[in-house]
Amino acid sequence: MSVTSPAEREELNRLLIQTGRNDQKAFAELYKRTSSKLFGVCLRMLRDRSEAEEVLQETYTTVWRRAAGFDAAKASAITWLITLSRNKAIDRLRQHREELVDDPSKLEQAIDDQPTPAVDAETSQEYGRLQKCLDALEPQQRDSVREAFFTGATYNELATRSKVPLGTMKSWIRRSLMQLRVCLEQ
Amino acid sequence: MNTPADEGNDNLRYAEYVLGVLDADARAAVAQEVQTTDEAAAAVALWQRRLMPLSEQIAGVAPAPYVWARIRDDLQLDAPAPAAPRTESKGLWNNLALWHWLGIGATAVAVALLAVVVTPHRDNVPATAETAPPKAPAGYMVSTIQQDSGVTGWTATMDLDRARMIVVPAAPSALPSGKAPELWLIPAGGKPISVAMIKRDAPTTIALEPSLLAKLGPTAALAVSVEPVGGSPTGQPTGAVIAKGAISGSPETHDHVVRVAALNVAAIRKSV
Repeated sequence: MSVTSPAEREELNRLLIQTGRNDQKAFAELYKRTSSKLFGVCLRMLRDRSEAEEVLQETYTTVWRRAAGFDAAKASAITWLITLSRNKAIDRLRQHREELVDDPSKLEQAIDDQPTPAVDAETSQEYGRLQKCLDALEPQQRDSVREAFFTGATYNELATRSKVPLGTMKSWIRRSLMQLRVCLEQ
Repeated sequence: MNTPADEGNDNLRYAEYVLGVLDADARAAVAQEVQTTDEAAAAVALWQRRLMPLSEQIAGVAPAPYVWARIRDDLQLDAPAPAAPRTESKGLWNNLALWHWLGIGATAVAVALLAVVVTPHRDNVPATAETAPPKAPAGYMVSTIQQDSGVTGWTATMDLDRARMIVVPAAPSALPSGKAPELWLIPAGGKPISVAMIKRDAPTTIALEPSLLAKLGPTAALAVSVEPVGGSPTGQPTGAVIAKGAISGSPETHDHVVRVAALNVAAIRKSV
């Protein structure tokens, strides 16, 4: 199911608000509609099914406990949920960053792995705008931004993977972020 | 657009935080700021709006059903309300009288009813049927947990596909006050593993951890011992074992089990 159509977004907002009122049925429905997406996000970063399952579990137990703090005026439910799962997945990655860096096979794997193409037949307007702005970046820099977003890698890891000095990677990403900001505000 | 005044290096830090490139220390520092200052929170929220649409490129992957079972377990959702029973979802799964009746009858009946009646009830499991790849037919295992006298104490039905077990008392057993029944899984040649505290007078639904699921099989057995209300303090049975039973029906023999069970259902219906 697409989580990008305006109607679906509204419905997810409603379900998350209801969850904040301790509505178990709404919570179950929210899980049903969003867990595949969030699991995809976690799996992409953690590259390990059981770890991704643990992070997904942590994410939804946090959703249940913190849903009352959700404010639809500040962010959509799907953005709120994806942010929460990404933050938890990145925290988990940082916990055992050393292992990953020490395991060259995992790094190789990460380089080969291109982001999966969009499966949602319908992507949002916001996505379209962001994609346009990304297309305007230098290819290498665009790839680094995407790699960073999808894998949750640190500057150090990104530099190692792309075989460029750390300073180069930092300036690529920072320049890209500034360009994106300007482009998105036009 | 509402842009925070300061779009300098600080703002870039918020962008880096949202993108996910900061190391653990720098990340923790920004997370702390977000908690304590409105400006940081607003800047981070703005970058989330900018960058999060990228996640539309990530394909959804349906998580295994036991993840939801664990979440419910963790949050103790669906805990039966002490006074008022749940009114919604009066499916057969929740029909106490039926389960009592089943507990008295053959265990195989439980399998048949599960297969025939419960399978269409998807309401308890928000799985992801639309996105999940086609699966092999679900597997069930059953166990009649009997007292030494041969009288059935409980019937356990294990739904492997959904990683849960329902344990139904055949008749409420009398226990000393302050004591409660605890269910154990005993792997062949292994030590008992605590499964859960079960109710003596009502069905108990238990989410099964993958480690437990893996140990279910015809060589394992279930047993019930009498323990303090909070469960055995040692992790091993401390009180009398009041009932036990072998586990039967594996995913491979599922069709056979259901066929046999269907015959039993027919026989019992005639005799009732």
